[in-house]
Amino acid sequence: MGKLRIRPYEDIKNKGMYNVDADIPEITYNYIGKRGVRRIDGYAKASGKAVYTRDVQIPGMLYAKVMRSPYAHARILSMDTSKAESLPGVVSVLRYDDSEIKGRKLNGSVGGPDRMAGQFSGFALKPESVILAEEAWFEGQAVGAVVAAESEDIAKEALRLIDVKWEELPFILDQEEALKPDAPVLLPGAESNKLDDFRGEYIELGDVEKGFREADKIIEFKASRKAHLWAGAEMPSVLARWTDDRLELWNHVQQPYSVKLLLSEQMDIPLNQITMYTPYQGCSFGERCNPADFSINGMNTMAVIMAKKTGRPVKLLFDRAEKFYGESSDMMEGYFKVGAKKDGTITAVSMKNIFAVFWCCPGIEHFIENTKIPNLKCHVIPVDVSKAPAWWDRCEQLPNALCLTLVFDHVAAELGLDPTLVALKNDGCEGHGVDWLSKQKKEHGFPDRDSLKECIEAGKKAIDWDKKWHPPGQKKLPNGKMHGIAFTWDHEWDDTRGTGSAAVWVESDGTVSIVAHHPEFGVNPWTTYCQIVADELGVPVEDVTMKPFDGDQIFALMSPDGSCNLCSNGFVVRKAARKARAILLDLALNHFEGLTAEDLDIKDRHIFEKKNPENKKSIREITVLAMPMHNAVGTWTEPPIVGWAWHQHGIWGDAMETGRPRFCRQAHFMEVEVDTDTGQVEVTKVVNVNDVGKAISPESVEGQMYGGTYMGVGRSLTEEMIWDPQTGVLLNRNLLDYKFATISDCPAAETIIVETEMGHGPYGTVGVGEDVATLIPGLLGPAVYNAIGVWVDDFPITPEKVLKALGKI
Amino acid sequence: MKGETSKYLCPYCTAQKDSFEDLKAHVLESHKGEGVPLPDGMIRLTVNGQDYQIQVEPHWTLNYLIHDRMGLTSPKMFCDRGACGSCTVIMNGRPILSCMSLAIECDGNAIETAEGIADAGHPLVESYVKHHCMQCGYCTPGFITTAKSLLDKNPNPTDEEIVEALGGNLCRCGTYPQHPKAIKEAAQLLGKKGGA
Repeated sequence: MGKLRIRPYEDIKNKGMYNVDADIPEITYNYIGKRGVRRIDGYAKASGKAVYTRDVQIPGMLYAKVMRSPYAHARILSMDTSKAESLPGVVSVLRYDDSEIKGRKLNGSVGGPDRMAGQFSGFALKPESVILAEEAWFEGQAVGAVVAAESEDIAKEALRLIDVKWEELPFILDQEEALKPDAPVLLPGAESNKLDDFRGEYIELGDVEKGFREADKIIEFKASRKAHLWAGAEMPSVLARWTDDRLELWNHVQQPYSVKLLLSEQMDIPLNQITMYTPYQGCSFGERCNPADFSINGMNTMAVIMAKKTGRPVKLLFDRAEKFYGESSDMMEGYFKVGAKKDGTITAVSMKNIFAVFWCCPGIEHFIENTKIPNLKCHVIPVDVSKAPAWWDRCEQLPNALCLTLVFDHVAAELGLDPTLVALKNDGCEGHGVDWLSKQKKEHGFPDRDSLKECIEAGKKAIDWDKKWHPPGQKKLPNGKMHGIAFTWDHEWDDTRGTGSAAVWVESDGTVSIVAHHPEFGVNPWTTYCQIVADELGVPVEDVTMKPFDGDQIFALMSPDGSCNLCSNGFVVRKAARKARAILLDLALNHFEGLTAEDLDIKDRHIFEKKNPENKKSIREITVLAMPMHNAVGTWTEPPIVGWAWHQHGIWGDAMETGRPRFCRQAHFMEVEVDTDTGQVEVTKVVNVNDVGKAISPESVEGQMYGGTYMGVGRSLTEEMIWDPQTGVLLNRNLLDYKFATISDCPAAETIIVETEMGHGPYGTVGVGEDVATLIPGLLGPAVYNAIGVWVDDFPITPEKVLKALGKI
Repeated sequence: MKGETSKYLCPYCTAQKDSFEDLKAHVLESHKGEGVPLPDGMIRLTVNGQDYQIQVEPHWTLNYLIHDRMGLTSPKMFCDRGACGSCTVIMNGRPILSCMSLAIECDGNAIETAEGIADAGHPLVESYVKHHCMQCGYCTPGFITTAKSLLDKNPNPTDEEIVEALGGNLCRCGTYPQHPKAIKEAAQLLGKKGGA
């Protein structure tokens, strides 16, 4: 029952660990921040010529499929694989009791609890850390056997031919039921279903009882969030090929090097014998980001074993139903008690959050990070149930964002205040108000801009808030429906953790390649890196490209995990570009007698003397002659103009980003219409306002905003994984019955970019990819409340729940 | 094959022959000018303007044939059961779900894929790039084929008509708002080209 460290920023500041100041631009922006830069992945994707892991086929390839448990909790008593083995086309069957796999555990458990994501992995909390177990802890878990065959159809047929005698065991689906004294205990040897989590059970700041005494009003409510999941486009697959002792892997993953590292430990293969290719990647949203979990480490291990066993390349594939293996980490029941003064000042927040299977974010952290509320308490209870372990789901901040929205909007509603005023009243950091934030901004060299105020003003104007906002349940529209309008806010986050490396290479003809292994998930990073490199070098963006696919090229940029792209990688490519620029200028000195590198600059493919711009040479003239070589084919070879760099920008989970508060904010507004006869909720307008510090590629930022809104609206209205209470079977393992938003489900969000340049990334930028999709789901709650005057604090908000809240059913 | 009773039926006069070779000879002799029947499992397919004669298994889907056997990567498997539109190809002018069509039933048909649309220089592709209609890009070819077939039928679609046409295409990244913009721009470019 330890306490979590609180006040991380102050702590880090006191220790002097990190001190990242404002990033003052030193260059002219020709491409940074400009619209209309052609995205370099666009044609490949639109034409269908982009190759994803799922598309990769190589000669002689076999197809592998894994057996899945039909029961929510069951043990294999006996398993007969003889019929499967004799099916024509089946090449090999791997059983759970075969020596290659028996008892083999996911890494984290192999490398020790401190290695990688061991303790943090939902899987590590449960016995299904065994890769191919004989006991299943949830319906759909991989158990028993893997089959490799000449075709996917044959492999599937072989799985059907495996005769298993199961012993069914008790299961439990609801986390509050699981805590009852008479509930069956799922984990062997455990005293209860409460999961033991090393991070402790309580988080406290100040004294909540004191805060409640100071309050004019105490507000209590319960909220519930049912499971949803990533539902990304590409179904997981891995292709493994052995040649002698060398292993090649084609993988759909976010962190190729970490995946390679864990596999190397798992299978005892030297790292320099593994080559990993990551082709184009069809979505992730965190799904493909845990190198230690079953769908990556487990899947890869099985494919590698099967490839060794058969002497053939093996592609292991999951289908859509098998992709429903995780839930969002906001699968929770929350109990809230809030104290507030009449003017909207919140004096204390206390919450008890009961999470199913796993918790990542407790729900209280955004109150610590961006409010001045002095007294905070969070009781976190993770509970084991018969469901797949929950995991990060664009993003792990879901509970923090949901709790912030619900608390602030409940307070505003109870006090009859405009919620935008309540937000402004409580903005701050670690119990300090905006004055303290101002001081911090100045200390770090930033302009003192009030990000929240700017976001709120822009959003209010766009949605016409002052005219439209009304007391709850008061506005009936001419079409007979009730109109609702709501607001929420948060800081603008991006984890900035991790390390990246890349090289910038100026080729012989003066064109530029960014060389770094990098799986790309849709945030348009490659074009953005090209924009940065073009501006840093002084060349046209058309002359710069990105080479991300080759697995053996040393350099590796962080993928969107951990929750970070540009704020780490932007620094990497910028540093590398500056180094390449220095080498280029150095080589150019041969052509500018008597000058030093400081006297020169680069613009429009030319190097010129600053004082006398007419004295210039084209970059090509320099590069072509940089490395003269007399041979049969020509007189030059590749120029030695390669700048490489790495960058580390905070270690997430340990150093809390950059050791200074988050200064950028976001604000979102939503209008709904509720049909009180049917309970149907229609989202009619959404305004997203994000202070992203600096938008390097404005179109890409907007893409994350309107795209995140669609995901958020789907999550709040229709997305829910539904289990059969009688059997524990997940009933909607497909995209017909698991419904996310289509083009016709809500209008395009109006997107407003605010740029205060107060982010912690290069040029003052901060991320946007996770923020909107994570914050929007909770916003439907206050919007529906504003429409009907009754809270439906149970997500997703279905027509049935609306009618129940209205007392109609 | 000796001992087997199966007969080969002439599609033009229902005459029964003992072997495929006999049937072929019969058609060439008695039905001059008519198409010569194909052996069992052999189909004719035109893909992006190129004619093919391919041997297929009865259970192969059109998606499996085009994607896995012919190596055209654009019809993507996303949902694996006709829910997402990512495997959409154009067959004889209509958008169809290639994962829900049996290849053997497509004999004699003309198929267009996103690769073909791109190679033909259709303005949709560049306007899709310009308007950032892709994020991860996995579903994008299915949108391209759906949009192209809409424009073939309706050269000047309204926003409502576009939304209706794309209603069956899922995009988890949420690129939806960009598609109407790109499609209308492509329509305009096509109109100019046609009028010139």
